Amino acid sequence: MSTNPPVITNETYAHRVARRFQADAFARNGLRMVIFLFILATLAPFLANSHALIRVTDGQTSFPIFLSLDPIEWRFLIYVPLGGVVYLLRRRLLTHWRIALCLVVAVIALVEIVLAYSHPINDPTNDRDRAASFKLLPPIPYSPIETTRDQFAPPSWKHPCGTDSTGRDIAARMLHGARTSLSIGFVSQSIALFIGIVLGGLAGYYRGWTDIAVCRFIEIMDCFPSLLLILVIIGIFESQNNMFVIMAVIGFTSWTGVARLVRAEFLRLSVQPFTLAAQAIGATDLRVILRHLLPNSLGPILVVGTFGVASAILIESSLSFLGFGMQAPTPSWGDILNESRRYIDFAWWLAFFPGLAILITIMSYNFVGEGLRDAVDPRLRLK
Amino acid sequence: MSAPFLHVENLGIQFGPTDNPLKAVDGISFDLAAGETLAVVGESGSGKSVTALALTRLLATPPARYVSGKIEFEGRNMLTIPEDELRKVRGKQIAYIFQEPSSSLNPVFTIGFQIQEAIELHRPEVRDVRGEIVCALERVGIRQPAERLGDYPHQLSGGMQQRVMIAMALACQPKLLVADEPTTALDVTIQKQIMDLLKELKQTSNMTVLLITHNFGLVADFADRVLVMFRGRIVESGPTAEVLRNPQHPYTRALIECVPKLGQKQRRLKVIDYAGIE
Repeated sequence: MSTNPPVITNETYAHRVARRFQADAFARNGLRMVIFLFILATLAPFLANSHALIRVTDGQTSFPIFLSLDPIEWRFLIYVPLGGVVYLLRRRLLTHWRIALCLVVAVIALVEIVLAYSHPINDPTNDRDRAASFKLLPPIPYSPIETTRDQFAPPSWKHPCGTDSTGRDIAARMLHGARTSLSIGFVSQSIALFIGIVLGGLAGYYRGWTDIAVCRFIEIMDCFPSLLLILVIIGIFESQNNMFVIMAVIGFTSWTGVARLVRAEFLRLSVQPFTLAAQAIGATDLRVILRHLLPNSLGPILVVGTFGVASAILIESSLSFLGFGMQAPTPSWGDILNESRRYIDFAWWLAFFPGLAILITIMSYNFVGEGLRDAVDPRLRLK
Repeated sequence: MSAPFLHVENLGIQFGPTDNPLKAVDGISFDLAAGETLAVVGESGSGKSVTALALTRLLATPPARYVSGKIEFEGRNMLTIPEDELRKVRGKQIAYIFQEPSSSLNPVFTIGFQIQEAIELHRPEVRDVRGEIVCALERVGIRQPAERLGDYPHQLSGGMQQRVMIAMALACQPKLLVADEPTTALDVTIQKQIMDLLKELKQTSNMTVLLITHNFGLVADFADRVLVMFRGRIVESGPTAEVLRNPQHPYTRALIECVPKLGQKQRRLKVIDYAGIE
């Protein structure tokens, strides 16, 4: 480089972080991979399903896939694109944030009410063998819970990742398992971030007894090996062992790192003159915390959040591997791995593909996390 | 006669252990009339900033302790009124300008947003907030204010940042402006500009100003009255001209002599001889 970049630019902090993040090839591709996985997971029912997308029988056109979607799949299908739309329109939404908030809440409420009163049609037959004048099948024409007589089939054109002991298609199970893994990573880390920010923020801002209480609580939580703690809690809630319990349990046991970080950031920021200046113009404590301290510590929080998602996915996989994860028919990567244990000497594909999926996901998240960490660090001079 | 504008009586503020406290402010009393300009002069650690912050109870407790006295602002004791009433005084009635403009502005928000926050908090009735912000920036002498709204603090020079701080403080038309060493972090030419600006604003809006400084040079043509603080106590007070012409306390004399004079040859700068004061 012949000239140094100008010292004073019109670049905002967010733009600068984005530019430095983009400059890191690992981070860039990690983020692409994560987005790609999310798209795969969102579209899973359309990529792997035993029902046809469109079927024309006796001159009647029907869309069997849509009738067979269950509420959770509908949620995934609606909320992930909704998040994308909100992100794309963020500037316009921020200027009218009250209206935007009402709209989003209204959409969510409407979807939830409709879902509460709708029942998916449970049609055990598949469309592969059904005679029809026209049918459009998904690329993988098997549903994740559908058993076939094709047991232990090695990877082939028909079953790209092979089948398991009951003839279920591994590719279909993995696509649907991606939704489990990704949503558990995302939701449980959101819970962890929320608890961590609230408790760490209180400790760092108010100091004194609040700080002592929160810190001792963090130390107590850290004393327990988290996997054991999770197993105990899952044992207590065994009767309603579902996705949300696991999300909540992982969230409630992994917030301590976030809390420590937020506390440290708040301790540092609350002695900065701008905090005093905010108090001096009559801002409430809540306003000082939310509007002045939190935005200033968002960078490091995002970094731990990203690493946290990776570790949450890993915890879920370990839980499923140990047999404490999702309930039986729900596919999950760890669950496929767990099953592979017994047949490892002849059915290598049972362990290879889910293992690879976990590896790629965790690695992508870690690349994103590392890229973010370098991008938000102002002392680090990047090219 | 009605209650004085600001009446501070026997104010005592301590830090550290209760059995061996550090008396940052040790029983000071003073009055401030509406429209008056009072300068509190003293060196670092004399308790002047602590006094300024105590006016709206901005000191964090702990470590600080308000041990005695009262601060009556328009008849209400600021040391005892509840927190939510206090917040209505902060910014709206008593506004502050701090020493370090670069760190007193929040680095992640635009200056327009930060002035807007002050207006939103205390003047919800304002409809044209944008126009009000532009107006506030114009008053403190920022050129092309409409284009500066979207700037972040780091894009401005120190002098400009301090102007923004002043605009923020004045956006809510406070009755009392507390300027806590407003020019200490700035270089001399900018100091002059900022002091001239403050003087002009003081006259046009008929504000009461409490200027905190360690620099007697600033006081001469700015303040009506001077208070000299030393180790948490007021050692001397009086009309500015009188104190400057005929300082009574040895500490005041020492402070005045510390300001180097133009055209006077000196080998060494004067330092304060504490042994002579005790």
